[in-house]
Amino acid sequence: MTTRIADRRPATLQILLSGFLILWLIVAAFPFLWTLWGSFKVEGDFFSKADWMNAITGPLTQAQTGSSMTGDGYYGAWVQEEFWRAALNSLIVVVAVVCISLTFGTLGGYALSRSPYRYAFWLLLVALVFRAMPPITLVSGYLLPFFEWNLWGHLPTAIIVLVAINQPFTLWMLTSFFRNIPKELDESAMVDGCSRFQAFRHVIIPVMWPGVITTGLFSFLLAYNDFAVTAMLLSKENQTMIPKIASFLGTTQTAGNVMFAVSSVVSVTAPLFVLVMFFQRQIVSGLTAGAVKG
Amino acid sequence: MARIQLRNLSKRWGSFVGLKPMNLDINDGEFLVLLGPSGCGKTTTMRMIAGLEDASEGDIMIGERRVNDLEPKDRDIAMVFQSYGLYPTMTVYENIRFPLKVRGIPQAEHHDRVMRAAAAVELNEFLERKPAALSGGQRQRVALARAIVRKPKVFLMDEPLSNLDAKLRVSTRAQIKNLHHELQTTTIYVTHDQIEAMTLADRVVVMSRGEVQQIGTPLQIYDRPANTFVAGFIGSPAMNLIAGEIRGGVFEAANVRIPGFAGVSDGKVTLGFRAEDAGLAPAGEIAAPVYSMELLGDSSMATVQAGGALVAIRAAKNFSAQIGDPIAAHVPAGICHLFDPTTGQRIDRRTVPAGKETA
Ligand SMILES: Nc1ncnc2c1ncn2[C@@H]1O[C@H](COP(=O)(O)OP(=O)(O)OP(=O)(O)O)[C@@H](O)[C@H]1O
Ligand SMILES: [Mg+2]
Repeated sequence: MTTRIADRRPATLQILLSGFLILWLIVAAFPFLWTLWGSFKVEGDFFSKADWMNAITGPLTQAQTGSSMTGDGYYGAWVQEEFWRAALNSLIVVVAVVCISLTFGTLGGYALSRSPYRYAFWLLLVALVFRAMPPITLVSGYLLPFFEWNLWGHLPTAIIVLVAINQPFTLWMLTSFFRNIPKELDESAMVDGCSRFQAFRHVIIPVMWPGVITTGLFSFLLAYNDFAVTAMLLSKENQTMIPKIASFLGTTQTAGNVMFAVSSVVSVTAPLFVLVMFFQRQIVSGLTAGAVKG
Repeated sequence: MARIQLRNLSKRWGSFVGLKPMNLDINDGEFLVLLGPSGCGKTTTMRMIAGLEDASEGDIMIGERRVNDLEPKDRDIAMVFQSYGLYPTMTVYENIRFPLKVRGIPQAEHHDRVMRAAAAVELNEFLERKPAALSGGQRQRVALARAIVRKPKVFLMDEPLSNLDAKLRVSTRAQIKNLHHELQTTTIYVTHDQIEAMTLADRVVVMSRGEVQQIGTPLQIYDRPANTFVAGFIGSPAMNLIAGEIRGGVFEAANVRIPGFAGVSDGKVTLGFRAEDAGLAPAGEIAAPVYSMELLGDSSMATVQAGGALVAIRAAKNFSAQIGDPIAAHVPAGICHLFDPTTGQRIDRRTVPAGKETA
């Protein structure tokens, strides 16, 4: 018989713990659930001045569309305002940023983690300084040359800048993951017949997988959630999702546009849930990789 | 299989000397043990031979080829690491097969060779497990199997038994010895355990502080230690070393008087003898009160203070004495070794009196 430690706790503590967890869950999830529910209403309900309960029951929605739930917000945003184009742009930017960051990050992180030289440390320290700078300071520096060279407004430009902003962090994180992998592993691979790169490819990366996934996820989030860079560097036709949402909000004179923003916020958040759920095992083992010795 | 030569091989990190220039000629098929206390440069030497560490100076020859500038993979060696270095994401089977795979050995041979290597170290039951699900001893055997699955020119083993319990150590030791007998591959084995060195080695290299102290067969090292370091390191207990003076062929120190050193010039010397060569006697060359008594099982060890050092003397296991009781030991000149007190080097005596030393 195995009793888990949790089962041996006194009942009152158990209840207290569960109660706290549930409370926390509600508090944490509430904003999203509220937005999700509201996104199926019309603006008059969700931002009702008369009674906040209207956002839940939706009397105006009923009056305007004939049902208490409506997909108008989604239709308007995705089809009328071509939010799908922004989604596609986001996809391109995000995939490119993650792939490029991880390629450079794994190679560079591996090299730095195995380097016997001092400068590896200084490189990492400089990387940290760059990471600490607000992204917008970099953007203002880029703006003029990009205009001059006519690079402004293209997706690849945004991708390059995002990679540049992201790389220090990726490098840091991956370097510390690589440091946790014993050197004997590369060494025995090299004695067994691998070149340095084969050792990296066949032995180190499989062990590193959780670390790569975790770092990749953080890079993904940075690119996906970015506003400063993409809003500044991309033209209206090339916008990604977050600046697009901002532009919906920026024009409140036109009725219904705020609801476009609300529905696209929900659209932007939903994939995140799927992603985290899909990779949760790797993320957990990645985040705790340093804690347990392999 | 190959002969290995080290020519003036040395290693420096900045101003720290990890290995002083070393010359060594290892014969084809020989089992050579590097023995020494922690931090004396054993691993460094081995890693330079493997190509995992650059030599500061000197040449490494495997076969008749200078390998200094070759990658580890091109040196045709197999290595067992102190911490095993197994691949955690692969099963035992894949671990053992890995060297065959990366070296492009025909697929058809893989299965046979893996099974043979696994059988040699009795691993067949565990082939589908991951290393994390194995005990230390089993991991050890996986590392061994991975080394022998190929036929390399040289085996390098870095303290492969250090993580095993005493019993497993003895059986794995026997396994290694047997494997070497079968494969006849040149082997370099690192350990700080002198029993391992004595039982396994064809020849032992005793090292200390990055310097070779003595190279010889286990018997030579035991019987004729080249200096006080080797004398004090080999044997259990280590050789007794007494600082004293020879005058007119007689060695003298506090509580000690050993005649019979005719032909040795007068002066200060360090005298050494082994506890098991000496014996208790009603009257003898050493006479002192008992400092402590230890029962070892097959015998007991009496310790007395002589010449400013603690001196152990072997006694029968039923011998008993109280601390402080006066005892005497028979220590003829024939069982004694003389060392220079300043350099620690052995002083060879031309006229060796009849005794154990010639045996
Ligand atoms: N990368 C390094 N930089 C500086 N000094 C080092 C380095 N690697 C090892 N040393 C030093 O070299 C000396 C020899 O180390 P080595 O690992 O060869 O010892 P060892 O004989 O294998 O000891 P042990 O029995 O503890 O494994 C030690 O004093 C160690 O501190
Ligand atoms: Mg070592």
